[in-house]
Amino acid sequence: SVPAASETTDLSHLINKLLAAGKADHKYVEFDFLINGQFLRMPLVTHMEMENISTEEVVEIEYVEKYMAPQPEECIFHDDWISSVQATEEWILTGCYDQTARIWSLEGKSIMTIAGHTEVVKDVAWVKQDSLSCLLLSASMDQTVLLWEWNVEKNKVKALHCCRGHAGSVDSIAVDCTRTKFCSGSWDKMLKIWSAVPTDEEDEMEEAANRPRKKQKTEQLGLTRTPLATLSGHTEAVSSVLWSDAEEICSASWDHTIKLWDAETGDLKSTLTGNKVFNSVSYSPLCRRLASGSTDRHIRLWDPRSKDGSLVLLSLTSHTGWVTSVKWSPTHEHQLISGSLDNIVKLWDTRSCKAPLYDLAAHEDKVLCVDWTEAGLLLSGGADNKLYCYRYPATASDVGA
Amino acid sequence: PCPALTPLPSAPLQDIRNTVGNIPMEWYQDFPHIGYNLEGKRIYKPIRNKDELDMFLEKMENPDYWRTVQDKMTGADIKLTDEQVDLVHRLQKGQFGDVHFNPYEPAVDFFTHEVMIHPVTNRPADKRSFIPSLIEKEKVSKLVHAIKMGWIKPRKPKDDTPTYYDLWAHEDPNSILGRHKMHVPAPKMKLPGHEESYNPPPEYLLSEEEKLAWEQQEPAERKLNFVPQQYRCLRAVPAYSRFIHERFERCLDLYLCPRQRKMRVNVDPEDLIPKLPKPRDLQPFPTTQALVYRGHTSLVRCLSISPSGQWLVSGSDDCTVRFWEVCTARCMKTLPVGGVVKSVAWNPNPTICLVAICVEQSVLLVNPCLGDKLLYGATDQLLESYVAPEEERVQPVQWVMATMEEHSKGVRLVIQHSKAVKQVTWHGKGDYFASVVSDNSNMQVLIHQTSKRWSQNPFRKSKGLVQCVLFHPIRPYFFVATQRYVRVYNLLKQELTKKLMTNCKWVSSMAIHPGGDNIICGSYDSKLAWFDLDLSTRPYQLLRACGVTLGGTPGRLEGGSQSPALTCLLHHSDLLQNPLLVPVKVLKGHVLTLDLGVLDVLFHPTQPWVFSSGADGTVRLYT
Repeated sequence: SVPAASETTDLSHLINKLLAAGKADHKYVEFDFLINGQFLRMPLVTHMEMENISTEEVVEIEYVEKYMAPQPEECIFHDDWISSVQATEEWILTGCYDQTARIWSLEGKSIMTIAGHTEVVKDVAWVKQDSLSCLLLSASMDQTVLLWEWNVEKNKVKALHCCRGHAGSVDSIAVDCTRTKFCSGSWDKMLKIWSAVPTDEEDEMEEAANRPRKKQKTEQLGLTRTPLATLSGHTEAVSSVLWSDAEEICSASWDHTIKLWDAETGDLKSTLTGNKVFNSVSYSPLCRRLASGSTDRHIRLWDPRSKDGSLVLLSLTSHTGWVTSVKWSPTHEHQLISGSLDNIVKLWDTRSCKAPLYDLAAHEDKVLCVDWTEAGLLLSGGADNKLYCYRYPATASDVGA
Repeated sequence: PCPALTPLPSAPLQDIRNTVGNIPMEWYQDFPHIGYNLEGKRIYKPIRNKDELDMFLEKMENPDYWRTVQDKMTGADIKLTDEQVDLVHRLQKGQFGDVHFNPYEPAVDFFTHEVMIHPVTNRPADKRSFIPSLIEKEKVSKLVHAIKMGWIKPRKPKDDTPTYYDLWAHEDPNSILGRHKMHVPAPKMKLPGHEESYNPPPEYLLSEEEKLAWEQQEPAERKLNFVPQQYRCLRAVPAYSRFIHERFERCLDLYLCPRQRKMRVNVDPEDLIPKLPKPRDLQPFPTTQALVYRGHTSLVRCLSISPSGQWLVSGSDDCTVRFWEVCTARCMKTLPVGGVVKSVAWNPNPTICLVAICVEQSVLLVNPCLGDKLLYGATDQLLESYVAPEEERVQPVQWVMATMEEHSKGVRLVIQHSKAVKQVTWHGKGDYFASVVSDNSNMQVLIHQTSKRWSQNPFRKSKGLVQCVLFHPIRPYFFVATQRYVRVYNLLKQELTKKLMTNCKWVSSMAIHPGGDNIICGSYDSKLAWFDLDLSTRPYQLLRACGVTLGGTPGRLEGGSQSPALTCLLHHSDLLQNPLLVPVKVLKGHVLTLDLGVLDVLFHPTQPWVFSSGADGTVRLYT
């Protein structure tokens, strides 16, 4: 039995002693403790009182290795506000308010500047990479999405296609898991699905026959491409889109709803209704939850499969301003990061919903975008023209005895 | 004596002698005779020649005078016998005349009172002596019939409750008895303590200094009215000199000192607060500051938002107009206009992308080139497709196409006025707009039509200094606010429809509900007048607010003020109750600069957000 007033450090010592008793060369490790899926953040007795756990029964406490703080690695300076960031194992792609998208190495060296848009670039996405060339997308306020091919060796970039069709600023794009299609959401309240496969000039049979053929080839912007499908249903601007499944698209909008669409048929599958404008959504296939950031300070977790109108599973509150972007961890089913207008990026574990695990307060101005790579890199870009990178070791959820 | 009469044995002498019958003897008063005898000769009265003297003598001397009477029949004097005198005496006493009459004879029963063995009659009793009386039955049935017919009303049974007389039923509470009820008893006298003892403990005796202090004090402010004394024994205690004085004072307290109950007003302070709906029920409304749009270097006087809600335009005293992206506070464009910007207005028609900006003496129509390329391209085309009419029209203003340099910045048309323009506002459809010039003539308000590039002056006469104008969102009404009144004109009929009396000295701004039936006027003397257009020309409610108030917006109405705080008012229209303007939240954020705080406020067209522009050069978004 454990004294009631013990805190995490005391319990940590206890576990360490037990482990040291078993193994001679056990090194001291900080542990974090979970009771009923909730992190222990205060003395045991207070926690149990709050959660109404009776002291009569046996209480199981899980111990996990304590998550270390993300270590700041790089700070990359841009010329203007950073509207979006997406990183892979080797490269970082950022979209900037100076109408360009840029590619950086993980060390912070500028590799490439992609200019072509006539307006601010609002969102960027990688389509596919291999060692020779990579395909990437940039969406802009000039109502177009450009598909670029980047030749890694020669370090040259070429615009393959210019996707026209939107009647308003394209605020968000998402590439599906097969990497052949992408979806875009815009201020004209529509979602459009496009093909992400580059085609040559002669060969336009890939597009559906009944689409009007536009053979315009502007020198810089590549062939014009029209959407495969348009999904309409939102009554206000679409702020964020993502692919939650192979044929399922999830879109969040200023009309306070998150809608789930069937990409094949173009039908609306279900709607989750909230109270506030949604700024950003992120989906985790590990825990099958949607996290949304809204124009109030809360991050809400939803179950996309729920049939009811609105079921907020959990609400994470710590920010003091709008939450502009959220992103789940690709490896850990309980962790996510969020960026907000209060200049702070917070790392959350959903098991501890009252306070984030860590606050990364490095930005001096609004945080506009965040990203989390599989390799354990956290990125955040903001209105102070800086992109910060943090190293956070990728851990799957550990469960001790 | 009668000579010829032979007395009959049966008839007394007197009867024979009465020969006249039963007549009043006064008839024979004057005659010397009374009657006639059988021979027909007069019977003369006895001569009476006695005079007064003789009669007197006779009275004195005659012993039988008292029993001598004159017989009327014959006129002779008769001496009454003893029995006759006795009779007279008995009659005078009131007894019976007859001597032998006994008025007290014993009663002789007709029938004896004793019960005899034989009845008086042997008649058997009638049936009617056993059965109820038939006569009575008949009488009763007649009575019943009469009662049934209502001729006789039966008497109500008397109520046997004892009746009391309530002495105090009609008492006047203000009377003396009422005063007795309000009796506030005098405070009780202090019970004697140790100081009053004839041999108090030494600590109760005053020392020299205390005695001096006691003497110097005013009698009214002394704690003890006396100096505690110490005596050897009770016998030595003298009379208390102040005894009567103290009793007198006590009596004064009792009857002279006015005592009154303190009437505490039992008003629950909660009742005074009007029952406003809870702010929670009126959500959603903006509560906190979300974004700050920084960029202007001087006070930001005016704001306008695009109908889609994506772009915000602000005009400032630093002679620039800035276009902002609402959701990120990014300044997309800055347009230097070369003069202080008093008013901006974004065209409310979503298909036309134009902003009207008032800069000093001109109104610029600017295409901000934000948003859908097709739209603003179409707007440009629309503007270019204008064909000037054949004949020259006389216009109060000049419509000038923008120069190349201005065109590149976005300006498309410049409308030159003759004086400084104060305000510009669009009509709901987006073709007409009105501008207000700070002048005092009839040329203050001008209505312009963009598609025809035509301006007109709708008013012939100036009715006062026009503060601001507004178009009705749905109907063809035009509101002109002068310093004290708001006039409503019907544009189709071209006449004045109504004159709204705001009870304010100086109206500063006006806003209309998008439904079109409520108007709020704000004034510099911190009043908000709320008019219901269908109701009357007088304000439905007059509210007090601190500082200058501005207003305006879809769905809700709000007010900015001269102090840095923004107060968000909500028009709560519950169909069950009267519509209310409920102050809901005070939004803080702006910094007080040059004694001015918030200069303009605006609502987002679709979201419950409020923009406010201030003298500190920022525009703030509250959500």
